[in-house]
Amino acid sequence: MWSAELKRGAVAAIFAGGLCAAAPALAWEPTKPIEIIVPAGAGGATDQMARMIQAAVQKNNLLKVPTVVSLKGGASGGEGLMDMKASAGDPYKFIIAQSSIYTLPFSAKLPFSWKDMTPVAIIALDEFVLWVNSGAPYKTTAEFTAAAKKAGTETLRMGGTGSKREDQILTAAIEKATGAKFAYIPYKSGGEAATQLVGNHTEANVNNPSENVAQWRAGQVRALCLFDTARLPYDEKVTPDMAWKDIPTCKEVGLDIDYTMLRGIFLPGKVTPDQVAFYQDLFRKIAQTPEYKDYLKNQALKAAYIEGEAMTKFLQEDEARHKALMTEAGFIAAH
Amino acid sequence: MSADLHPSDAPDDRAVISRRTVDLSVSVLLFLIAMALAYDNWQVGIAWAPDGPEAGYFPFYLCMIMGVAALVGVARSLTDPGGQDGFVTRGQARRVMQVFVPTLIFVALIQVLGIYVASFILVSGFMIWLGKAPVWKALLTAAIFTAFMFYVFDVQFTVLMPKGPLEAAFGL
Amino acid sequence: MDALLSLMHGFEVLLTFDKMLLMLVGITLGILVGVLPGLGGPNGVAILLPLTFSMDPTSAIVMLSCLYWGALFGGAITSILFNIPGEAWSVATTFDGYPMAQKGQAAEALTAAFTASFVGSLFAVLLITFLAPSIAEFAIWFGPPEFFAVYLLTFCSFVGLGREAKHKIVISLIVGFLLAAVGMDTVSGQLRMTYGSVELLRGFDFLVAVIGLFGISEILLTMEDQLAFKGQKAVIRMRVVWETWKTLPRYWVTLLRSSIIGCWLGITPGGAIAASFMGYNLAKRFARDKEGFGQGRIDGVLAPETAAHAAGTSALLPMLALGIPGSGTAAVLLGGLMVWGLQPGPLLFTEHADFVWGLIASMYLGNIAGLIIVLATVPLFAAVLRVPFATIAPMIIVSCAVGAFAVQNAMFDIWLMLAFGVVGYVFKKLDYPLAPLVLALVLGDKAEDAFRQAMIGARGNMGVFWSNGLVGTITTLALLMLFWPVIMKLVGLVRGGRAPRTA
Repeated sequence: MWSAELKRGAVAAIFAGGLCAAAPALAWEPTKPIEIIVPAGAGGATDQMARMIQAAVQKNNLLKVPTVVSLKGGASGGEGLMDMKASAGDPYKFIIAQSSIYTLPFSAKLPFSWKDMTPVAIIALDEFVLWVNSGAPYKTTAEFTAAAKKAGTETLRMGGTGSKREDQILTAAIEKATGAKFAYIPYKSGGEAATQLVGNHTEANVNNPSENVAQWRAGQVRALCLFDTARLPYDEKVTPDMAWKDIPTCKEVGLDIDYTMLRGIFLPGKVTPDQVAFYQDLFRKIAQTPEYKDYLKNQALKAAYIEGEAMTKFLQEDEARHKALMTEAGFIAAH
Repeated sequence: MSADLHPSDAPDDRAVISRRTVDLSVSVLLFLIAMALAYDNWQVGIAWAPDGPEAGYFPFYLCMIMGVAALVGVARSLTDPGGQDGFVTRGQARRVMQVFVPTLIFVALIQVLGIYVASFILVSGFMIWLGKAPVWKALLTAAIFTAFMFYVFDVQFTVLMPKGPLEAAFGL
Repeated sequence: MDALLSLMHGFEVLLTFDKMLLMLVGITLGILVGVLPGLGGPNGVAILLPLTFSMDPTSAIVMLSCLYWGALFGGAITSILFNIPGEAWSVATTFDGYPMAQKGQAAEALTAAFTASFVGSLFAVLLITFLAPSIAEFAIWFGPPEFFAVYLLTFCSFVGLGREAKHKIVISLIVGFLLAAVGMDTVSGQLRMTYGSVELLRGFDFLVAVIGLFGISEILLTMEDQLAFKGQKAVIRMRVVWETWKTLPRYWVTLLRSSIIGCWLGITPGGAIAASFMGYNLAKRFARDKEGFGQGRIDGVLAPETAAHAAGTSALLPMLALGIPGSGTAAVLLGGLMVWGLQPGPLLFTEHADFVWGLIASMYLGNIAGLIIVLATVPLFAAVLRVPFATIAPMIIVSCAVGAFAVQNAMFDIWLMLAFGVVGYVFKKLDYPLAPLVLALVLGDKAEDAFRQAMIGARGNMGVFWSNGLVGTITTLALLMLFWPVIMKLVGLVRGGRAPRTA
């Protein structure tokens, strides 16, 4: 007796991705596999997003061609960005970009600008939360910043992903707002930063919700505040007594910092308007799938769908903001 | 090295280059590389900051140690009693080139023709010229092998391999 | 016993016809991707991940984990036959596996490798079954100083073992370190030694270097002598498996030592590579006949394989229990878990008991089925060496190119592979050892990161490497390893004073 999923597996194994579905006729249609560039390592938040897109496309038959995930995480994702820059005119690849499109050119003099790519859509915004070990004496943001200021030479250790990127920018912003000093320890991934916090090798981190949720649910870490202007909307209990909605914004608790990170889709530069339209249509459909909606909720991402003129404006403002934050923190490469 | 074991005056067994020459050149080359990299790391920053070493610290000092080791290598190669031995004999060099040159051409062809056509040419050519295999056998083996690679990588696992004009003609 | 009951339940979940069939499909595909260079482990699992999106999570993870076992088994095949390691942790297997194949003992080496893999995995699975929740905690004790101490231990267990000229060992080790340092520095976010080149931005991938250094250079070296493989006269009979097995019990100390090292390092992320090298080095260090290593000793195959697979298997434990991937493949599986709506972490064992115990049960069955399948194919793979060299050599070259390309989808990597092939050829001819280069290339940047993270965390105080029992023990052990030859000499002197030894 062959079960349905086995058959499906076997069929899929034989005709990998060969199943087709009717799609509305468009001016441009892909005829060979599409590459999803992930400018990050395996298993990280961006990789998971790529897998989600793959799953949503496959389960809902949104594409007639297979998708292939390419991990290009070298140089903090700089490898993926440079690959996009070099692929101008190629409509068979898109990148899942995040704030490294601004930070890398500033901090590492990467010869790249997001203007080298064609914006398709921003499909979500990622939040940041101030986390501490649940065994730590400080229960609120105010107690934490007070402890950080009192620490003296025994500076508190703040873990984060990479150097001179979102996590360290945010740490610098907290230092500026509170006058406290932190020893920022750069790790290879958010997952590593999460475990290091649980193991008391750091005192705090500013991980994305998805990077710390497992530890939060297990009662190993405590969420102090959310770096955004409004709370997250998800009111389903994640821990026995808290939902995402119950995390106060940092502004509410006296730390006036807000910072979110785009999760955006870009095509290489110099693609045709028809091709852009095809992908915009595709991502509008993906945004309607249950897989995408579940993904937002499970990862506690902020729902956002920005495209066209609004997206360009968003990118310009966001870039200017990063430049200001990074200049203040001294993260702009000198020579 | 068979040349050392069976010294002979046959032209194939004569050394192309002495071991000492190669050893010396490699040591000098390694020394130059070490110095060039050291300079780059010196620019990055080689100080020991209050919170630990800077980005160039370890690479810089490793370059320094490598430079010293390479100088030791230079000295050793000059005094090595076995330095007069051959590095490769003429026959060995010819056989190595028989593989290396086709491989070099193969890699260059990948860029022009894509990996599958280049593979077909490499396998069939190798079998005909070096293996002295019948032409039909070589072509058939190469075709089956290339088709298998294409099926596994492109069809089954959708790994995007470099392609050329032939694949483009089929719309792939 | 609680664990036993849960495990029985796991077997119940698993023992249906279609799950068993999925297991077989997974193992067979796994061996295939393990044998094809560039596809092994993480890549293979990532490529086949989309096939499982429409399955239920238990079926999907069973198939994928069987794929993983298959890939682990398969990775040893090319290491032994062609000196091309498909995975970082197969490198140490080539040290003695390939010489064995050259001596005509390919079948023995393959049997030993597969059996050792099985023993290592089984040891780790038993550990997971009975100690899962408590031992997972171990992983979080590891901060930067502890990681650095482990890498230091791996390096120290290595130094002083080589027979080559000391300056050549040093150069080889440093070349590896420098290659690992090219690209972006994690701690400062600065680019190092890239000279403005986009291709150098991503650094040197380990697999590309190894395919060139070992695979291509080996073909060039083989060509020097004659147009044939040295091991082609291998005796290939199914009985070889049985005969090899009869000799294995005498290596129980090696197997046990490697299993323990493997499990210990597997639970700490990134440990499988360190485990295989350390397993090999310790087997060599404590062997009476050190000279025989590297020339085709069977325990030179058993030690790294057992350790690597114990590590590869136990790497799944922190992934399930804590959500930290212990290896590249585990990281991809982790991504898969999320797609199926499972949240790895401390609560997974209680919330999705079916899933977890089904997976653990599949580790037992998958390993047994995998062992039977690969052992049955030993004669087949060993027979590959009998194919005329002029036919198989170009195919190996093509596979190497495909593998080098597939790692990063970069044409530049194929050129790089060729360059490494030439370097490997010249280095081997001049007696530069390649093993230190590979070890440093894989672990060098990790060790540097860990050291600098530890320094930042400790505000520049070196005392951090002795700041608690765990890190202090490992660091001391590392130094002990480093000075082991000196210590043995001292012990010898003391003993020698009483009763002079002969020879």
